[in-house]
Amino acid sequence: MKSINKITSLELAAFIQDHLKAKGIDVILSGGTCVTFYSNNTYVSMDLDLIDISFTKKRDIREAMREIGFIEEGRYFVHPETKFFVEFPPGPLAVGEEPVRKINEIKQSTGILRIISPTDCVKDRLAGYYHWKDLQCLEQAVLVATHTKINLKEVETWSKKEGMEDKFEDFIDKLSNKEL
Amino acid sequence: MLEPLLGSTNAERVLIFIYSRDEGYVREIARFFNSDPDSIQKQLKRLESGGVLVSKTAGKTRLYSFNPRYPFLKELMMLLEKALQFYTDEEREKLLMNRRRPRRGGKPYEID
Repeated sequence: MKSINKITSLELAAFIQDHLKAKGIDVILSGGTCVTFYSNNTYVSMDLDLIDISFTKKRDIREAMREIGFIEEGRYFVHPETKFFVEFPPGPLAVGEEPVRKINEIKQSTGILRIISPTDCVKDRLAGYYHWKDLQCLEQAVLVATHTKINLKEVETWSKKEGMEDKFEDFIDKLSNKEL
Repeated sequence: MLEPLLGSTNAERVLIFIYSRDEGYVREIARFFNSDPDSIQKQLKRLESGGVLVSKTAGKTRLYSFNPRYPFLKELMMLLEKALQFYTDEEREKLLMNRRRPRRGGKPYEID
């Protein structure tokens, strides 16, 4: 395997996921690094959000991460040889009120990357826009939707369920402008 | 009331306070219930790290509110609404009396 300071965020995520999985800890990549993947690196996130779907004790995650050189610093796990940092946000794996069911598995040189689907990635980013008014999240949702095929109808239905029809229109407007 | 479910009286106090007033900070909640600020802070931090609450700073005060992205928020709100109905009229009125009057300029915030 390449040394840790030379691997990409996605390779690092796969490496950590494989290491944790061997210990019975199942984590799924969510958040900004999914945008990196689905936008073909147009956007780069330094923060790897891994959602634990096996409800492991924090102590066990801390111990498993220590074995591969990551040390807990506040909310994050850091490694002296990489600029990327890892966070384990609280579960469950969800976008808004809806549980995430579809997990994509993609082979990397360091392991199997387990990541939410591009459609769920768009919902996840839009949730940031809908609830936090975070315009960067809106931009990221548009980036994913312009680089990767997503199920727009599903995003619309989900947005309605979240009570965010109006804000979904903002997304559609931005997407249409991008695609022109 | 929800203590058997939440495992802590102070967890219920924190949730019911924030449900009633939309937001709250350690000393305010502790003073309201006449409880230990450290225990209230512990519950606030626990609920924040679990994704139920989020916080932001306002001056030197850390204000907590519900995380709008918490997947069970709607159901939690329903539970808290029901629990609130079982509080006495006096308690409920006190909780819901959300007097967020403007502060005089220069008056320091309490430090949590």
